[in-house]
Amino acid sequence: MLSLEAQHVRKTYGGVTALADAGLRVRPGTVHALLGENGAGKSTLVKIITGAVRPDAGVLRLEGTDVSFSDTADAARHGVAVVSQELSLFPDLDVLSNMFPMREPRRGPFVDRGRMAELARPILDQLGLRVSLRDKVGDLSLAQRQLLEVAKALVTDPRVLILDEPTSALDSKTAEVLLDILRVLRDRQVAVVFVSHILEEVMALCDEVTVLRDGSTVLDAAPLAGLTIPKIVESMLGERHAELAEVRPRATVDLSGAVAAPRGSGALRVENVSVEDRLSDVSVTATPGEVVGLAGVAGAGHQTVLELAAGLRRPTAGSVLLPDGKPAPRGLRAAIARGVALVTGDRRRLGLMLDKPIWDNAGQVRSVALARDGLLVRKRTLRERAAEHASRVNLRTSSLEKSAGLLSGGNQQKVVLMKWLQTHPSVLLLDDPTRGVDIGAKAEMHGLVRSVADAGAVVLMCSTDLDELATLCDRVYVLHHGRVCAELAGETLRQHEILAAMNTGTVPTA
Amino acid sequence: MTSSTTDAPRQDVDPAPGATSGGGPLGLIKRAFGMESASVLVATVVLILVIGAIHPDFLDPRQLRDVLQQSVYVAVLAAGVAFLLAMREIDLSVGAIFGLSLICSAMLMRDGWNPWVAAVAGIVLGALLGLANAAIVQVFRIPAIVATLATLSMFRGLSLALSEGQQVVGLPLDHTFFEFFGGRLFGIPVSVLVLVVVAIVLTFVLRTTPFGYRVRSIGSNPDAAAFSGISLARVRIQALMLMGGLAGLAGMLGLAYFGSGDPNIGSGFELLAIAAAVIGGTPLRGGAATVVGAMLGAVLLSVVTSGLVYFDIPVNWSSFATGAVILIAVGIDSLLRRRREARAAAAGL
Repeated sequence: MLSLEAQHVRKTYGGVTALADAGLRVRPGTVHALLGENGAGKSTLVKIITGAVRPDAGVLRLEGTDVSFSDTADAARHGVAVVSQELSLFPDLDVLSNMFPMREPRRGPFVDRGRMAELARPILDQLGLRVSLRDKVGDLSLAQRQLLEVAKALVTDPRVLILDEPTSALDSKTAEVLLDILRVLRDRQVAVVFVSHILEEVMALCDEVTVLRDGSTVLDAAPLAGLTIPKIVESMLGERHAELAEVRPRATVDLSGAVAAPRGSGALRVENVSVEDRLSDVSVTATPGEVVGLAGVAGAGHQTVLELAAGLRRPTAGSVLLPDGKPAPRGLRAAIARGVALVTGDRRRLGLMLDKPIWDNAGQVRSVALARDGLLVRKRTLRERAAEHASRVNLRTSSLEKSAGLLSGGNQQKVVLMKWLQTHPSVLLLDDPTRGVDIGAKAEMHGLVRSVADAGAVVLMCSTDLDELATLCDRVYVLHHGRVCAELAGETLRQHEILAAMNTGTVPTA
Repeated sequence: MTSSTTDAPRQDVDPAPGATSGGGPLGLIKRAFGMESASVLVATVVLILVIGAIHPDFLDPRQLRDVLQQSVYVAVLAAGVAFLLAMREIDLSVGAIFGLSLICSAMLMRDGWNPWVAAVAGIVLGALLGLANAAIVQVFRIPAIVATLATLSMFRGLSLALSEGQQVVGLPLDHTFFEFFGGRLFGIPVSVLVLVVVAIVLTFVLRTTPFGYRVRSIGSNPDAAAFSGISLARVRIQALMLMGGLAGLAGMLGLAYFGSGDPNIGSGFELLAIAAAVIGGTPLRGGAATVVGAMLGAVLLSVVTSGLVYFDIPVNWSSFATGAVILIAVGIDSLLRRRREARAAAAGL
């Protein structure tokens, strides 16, 4: 009998289909890999299985009985535990309190900490998590917190344990410990679902593989024995992606004059840079007019390169030169004054003032932070300039008075771009710029990024979206354990190659 | 004017929160004044008329002038507090800065300093005390509310220590400083005229300078502000210094009017100033502020305090009554604001 079975699950958000026909069959005593590209529907499927999201259609069975969870607590009572990507710990509480959220053992009206400790200690020891039960969770390292998440799930003694990218925050040694634990659980007949980007881990650990593509299951509980990394990559990406990769986004608007043609050498140069624990001897060059991508699994160091260019981090060795030929300054503010623009995927937290009108957001950097308009900031100027840039980036809104929080994700990201274009940047840094925007808005954003490059700016982009890297970029540097392991361009710049290099550190020979 | 519930105006209205015009007479007045602080103005006027209807003495121009005169100090402080609330900061030491700069200037004048020079020194001292607050926040990495809770006691303690707990008297009251700032111009107290000038200048600073925009940006989303290249530390220093300077200015106005220095003067002003700013329509969540509203909030509080005297309320109950009126004012304002915002959201603005 199967421990967990999901059949024909469908889920749409608004008009966007997250899951079309997804299924998952997990046998007890196996570690089951759930794989798929970004946006393939893995997270949605996990949320449905754990009761966080209700499916539009489909069947969910636990050990042969149909179930329908009202919420995550309900799923937990049925023996489904999840270790989520977004850490869900309370940083101000201690380790022990965090392990029993809402279900502390009690003695009368009081929390029975003695009993809690008895239950918690062996699990923590097993995980090799050497912390005191009284330690505040906020003081733990990211890896320790990740292990604590796992411990929290194990306390419930689950029959089905789902791990959503559990090793992304772990160094390789700690990840190894976690993988050992999963093997122990497997021997105890627990069904483990393992969601990961890191195919090496999947190969080393899992028994069966399910692959989602565009919301449907394309590889259904295939035994690992007959699979190889290239084969898995193949089914994750599909045939048509290989053809689509040839269609490159073109510049959609003329932004000449909106960006500054870099002075001096013109290129952004990262030369033989090392950063302790993150990068060793990395060299990256991006010339004006080019869109250069940075790829890697979480923690591979690709984001550190962006941070170097933005002045958020200093190299311990080597040099980082901005297009004006001088070293990157210390601090983001100084970098911005030198013409660096930074667009992140976390637009709601880091990009926008959600309660302020569009025109106010658009003037945020140029007129407010840099005070380039002098001692006075005129609303009229802000509105006029916002209107001009809004038509340039094709912002769709009924009015510039609208609060940024009311816009769609794609339009919000356009507002973020508007505010940076006002500064005439010479370097545009993008960190997962199209995270969570729909396909149409994504294509538009890609056109805009191309336009920025064509207008003469240096564009450097990190992305978790392989399709984005393969189609939008002219060149992609792939990082593996803090080193550049591949520089892909032209014929070799395809999702297959990126994914393989990200995971193995070498480019497969065709 | 038609009452428009769904068809909110798009272009011709100041888009600051609370500025969308509602229907009815409130909307008319708002449009007439063209400002978001209209509701507190309406409340103040209504309260004055209600008290006046029961006790016509209250409407005597001299009485109203006194009410206004008494509100000036808290009003100046409230204007500064509005700036701080707009960037999610707070300063609890404003009453103590007010008192300390007043005492210090009074002692300098007593010791023979030119009162004009001493007054400027008092304002500078206020700004420096604000800088001290900012430095503490910066160096020890503690929230301003904690830092200023400590400096509140320290500054008040300095006032008492320097004056040895005694009134500072023997000031040159016939000097032009006292005659001018303690006197009246065209029948209006000069301190009220100063308040008007401060209101205009600060509104201008808040609405049209990069500093004013930075303050509101930080309050709206500190992370996004930092990512846009705004230095939170620098803006905080500037805002706390502005606050201190304003407290110093209020102290000088008080000194000119009272003609002596009481080391306990201004105790409790910090809470009145915060209440005034909130009553005036500055939200505690930050991102927006209204200087005029904060000042009108102070006037409203002053009306309440003075008005209660007319109602034979036992003296031991007056504190309770003041609190009740503040609660009612803030409560009604918050309810109206939420309705307005819901309406604006429904209109898609």
